[in-house]
Amino acid sequence: MAHDALLRVEGLSVDFQTSRGLARAVDDVSFSIKRGETLALAGETGCGKSVTARSILRLVPQPPGIYSAGSIYFQGIEESEPLDVLEASEQQVRALRGDRIAMVFQDPSKALNPALTIGRQLGEVFAEHREASVFESAGLGTRSRGASRYLRHRGGLVRRTAYRFTHPSATKRLTDALDERVLQALAETGVPNPRKVMTSYPHELSGGMKQRVMIAQALACDPDLLIADEPTTALDVTIQARILDLLSELQERKGTAILYITHDLSLVRQIADRLAVMYAGRIAEIGDCRDLLSTPLHPYTQGLMNAIPRAETKRGELAAIPGTVPVLIDAPRQCHFVSRCSWAGEACTTHIPRESHPLPDRQVSCLRFESAAAVGAAPGDMPEQYASAEVTT
Amino acid sequence: MTISDDVQVPGAVASRRSLITLRDVAVHYPVKEGVLQRVTSHVKAVDGVSLTIPRGSTVGLVGESGCGKTTLGKVIAGLESPTSGDLWFDLDPSDAENVDRLRNRDPKSMSGEDRETWQRLQGQHRLGSMSREFQGRYRRNCQVVFQDAFSSLNPRQLVRDIVGRPLRVYNEASGENLNQQVLELLERVGLGPQHLLRYPHQFSGGQRQRISIARALALNPEFIILDEPTSALDVSVQAQILNLLVSLQREFELTYLFITHDLGVVEHMSDEIAVMYLGRLVEQGPTREVFDNPFHPYTEVLRDSNPSLTGDSVADGHRRLTGSVPNPIDPPTGCRLHPRCPVAVSTCGWRVDDVLEQLEVSSPASFEGIEAVERSSEFSAVIRLTDDDASRAMAHEVTDLRGALGNVEVDVRRDGKELRVDLPEVDDITLEVIEPGRMSACVHAQSGNWWNK
Ligand SMILES: Nc1ncnc2c1ncn2[C@@H]1O[C@H](COP(=O)(O)OP(=O)(O)OP(=O)(O)O)[C@@H](O)[C@H]1O
Ligand SMILES: Nc1ncnc2c1ncn2[C@@H]1O[C@H](COP(=O)(O)OP(=O)(O)OP(=O)(O)O)[C@@H](O)[C@H]1O
Ligand code: SF4
Ligand code: SF4
Ligand SMILES: [Mg+2]
Ligand SMILES: [Mg+2]
Repeated sequence: MAHDALLRVEGLSVDFQTSRGLARAVDDVSFSIKRGETLALAGETGCGKSVTARSILRLVPQPPGIYSAGSIYFQGIEESEPLDVLEASEQQVRALRGDRIAMVFQDPSKALNPALTIGRQLGEVFAEHREASVFESAGLGTRSRGASRYLRHRGGLVRRTAYRFTHPSATKRLTDALDERVLQALAETGVPNPRKVMTSYPHELSGGMKQRVMIAQALACDPDLLIADEPTTALDVTIQARILDLLSELQERKGTAILYITHDLSLVRQIADRLAVMYAGRIAEIGDCRDLLSTPLHPYTQGLMNAIPRAETKRGELAAIPGTVPVLIDAPRQCHFVSRCSWAGEACTTHIPRESHPLPDRQVSCLRFESAAAVGAAPGDMPEQYASAEVTT
Repeated sequence: MTISDDVQVPGAVASRRSLITLRDVAVHYPVKEGVLQRVTSHVKAVDGVSLTIPRGSTVGLVGESGCGKTTLGKVIAGLESPTSGDLWFDLDPSDAENVDRLRNRDPKSMSGEDRETWQRLQGQHRLGSMSREFQGRYRRNCQVVFQDAFSSLNPRQLVRDIVGRPLRVYNEASGENLNQQVLELLERVGLGPQHLLRYPHQFSGGQRQRISIARALALNPEFIILDEPTSALDVSVQAQILNLLVSLQREFELTYLFITHDLGVVEHMSDEIAVMYLGRLVEQGPTREVFDNPFHPYTEVLRDSNPSLTGDSVADGHRRLTGSVPNPIDPPTGCRLHPRCPVAVSTCGWRVDDVLEQLEVSSPASFEGIEAVERSSEFSAVIRLTDDDASRAMAHEVTDLRGALGNVEVDVRRDGKELRVDLPEVDDITLEVIEPGRMSACVHAQSGNWWNK
């Protein structure tokens, strides 16, 4: 068992019940993340990136979601045995969320509570996960139940508390300590006027500011693993760069591992150690980030790289991959990319590609990298074999 | 602080008809505070924007998150009323000239002919004052595709009803005819009859974006505001949507305002680009020229912060911007970038607040000794300290600060424990034409003393 892996996802499959049958959103996905490593997850809209990410925190709603197969092992720093998130008790999972594993969601407006000020929402995080240290900075050594309840009330968890009437000065110190924490967390993300932001409601903030609030919230508890689901998609490049600096600084200081979901491949190149490319619920290719981007091997990854607007591309002539993603309800046992792939052969419609390792630290799932004998198909049905000369591009 | 009347018109492309013309448009959102929810200040989301969008072109709008791009788009779409300024629709070059000549004049002082022209322009071309008929025409002609297609599509409506709604509202079609038209619209964006009776959640992100585009096309608009239409999509779907937008533009001679953070996309799609910072336009010009040779330091920083697919260098342009993003409630004077600008000089609009902010960083101890600051303007204040020694020390510190403030002339006079600080008054720095078609709101470009050449 590899002990340097913080997270191991093994054979994960997630289905959704739909009116037309079971839809497979994630299909036999495996990958691992080492401590302090950044793994980027890229791929077509709807290919299952967010569902994979949410599964790690067991946040896929059940129903309609079903964890059909696989395990997700999280090796927390103190535990000797890794925890299988999918088998763990509700209590164990709740202890992970927001504390050991934090997540920044794709859509900040859905993740923020519209009825609470930003200060309160962030306060809630500190109150829940960092109660002891808030008490300490307030100069209150012992935690009474009343004080604890008050803190949560401030954070918005409990509506009423009598503590504030019986202990006015401790209340003030607690409030100040909590506010100070929130303020600092916000300031670290570079939001303008953090004091003002604290008293704002989500609808008063621009998309970019909301996302930075989300990031402040996620970083608040120094998690072991940060799952960032397209956290900077809504931000301009200068603020994006700043947040990436912030993340990498955190990573260096705390050894945080990051799972970074994005469809921006140039961004991936700048931040990630490794890259996994997903297509229709499966991992198409995974490997060292820069190598993968300079020599993509899977036909889908190659298609993605070609679709990026470049200075020399004529307007309106971007090389989009033809066709659309297949519907994954009762999908046939085949390569899901087959209807869009220019290499496809007959065997691609009857076999699910297995993992091959054509390069060091590269794993590709495509029949071009498998032998007819290993697949058990007639040689004439195979797609043209990959020739290593192609790598020289 | 008024701008002289004879400045060259920003964004005027003399030879072409201008579909949208903005003049000094501002949107200030009230900020309410306290139990009584009293309006205590305003967020200057858009603050004095003049922009011309030529017919048939694509103008890209880029800028910092929260700088007011969406708000500006909403104003143009008529979804938000400007606090001040005016917005004109479909002006030919001579009308555009008339607008600029007459808009700051009192109609009473105009000649009879001018007054007639002015009334015609107001009644037929100006959003807010034009007649119902023209207003209706404008609404139909101007459509928006929002960034988040999911939340802008009603989840309980079928695609047929979503796309058909504008047709029904404007009584364009009903019954079988409606279905037929919706089908044609769906086909235009690459969807088929099998999609007609589905709900938005049954589509992928790219397909939903296509549905929004189909809806926007329903009334055959001339102009579409695209607010980050592909930000949530992967590059392959993005390529399909962008190709689609280009072919629709060619077929129907559409005009686009394209708002995005993706500089690669904006470079690919737009003829002209407008760069915004904190409610203002700071640079405008032909896209390629602007990126190749920016006339504003903020544009340069943006360009150099953009991660690249090739090369080993890390995009670190953002590190040149010091300090934090300023508060849009009380934006910096002069040039709004000056507190963060890497190449700021003495004429960039330094004010008393800049001096205080610098003092807080460089001499925190004396800063603590400030008892009161009485401002007589943004550029002039009396700082009262605890005692004479403190004011003497601070007088030196302020003088030493000049380097951090672009070597601005700070006039410091001491009177006992009071310190009078005066800085040169600087008007707001606005877009000026630097070369034909290229505008910048940077003093370097305006004076010809380039920071980068
Ligand atoms: N709650 C749900 N109910 C039913 N289907 C769902 C649900 N959530 C996700 N799905 C389906 O699972 C698939 C994968 O979705 P997911 O959100 O993971 O895509 P993604 O890769 O994150 O895409 P994007 O880049 O657009 O965010 C999609 O086909 C989606 O329709
Ligand atoms: N309804 C509102 N009330 C108060 N302030 C608002 C409102 N809408 C927007 N603002 C503020 O106006 C400013 C401009 O917001 P806007 O959404 O136009 O920015 P943007 O450039 O589109 O940003 P982004 O790139 O993040 O989408 C922001 O400071 C925002 O907080
Ligand atoms: S397995 Fe076949 S269809 Fe799939 S990507 Fe490889 S060549 Fe193309
Ligand atoms: S005017 Fe130019 S040099 Fe001065 S602060 Fe603005 S951008 Fe910088
Ligand atoms: Mg997603
Ligand atoms: Mg916006």
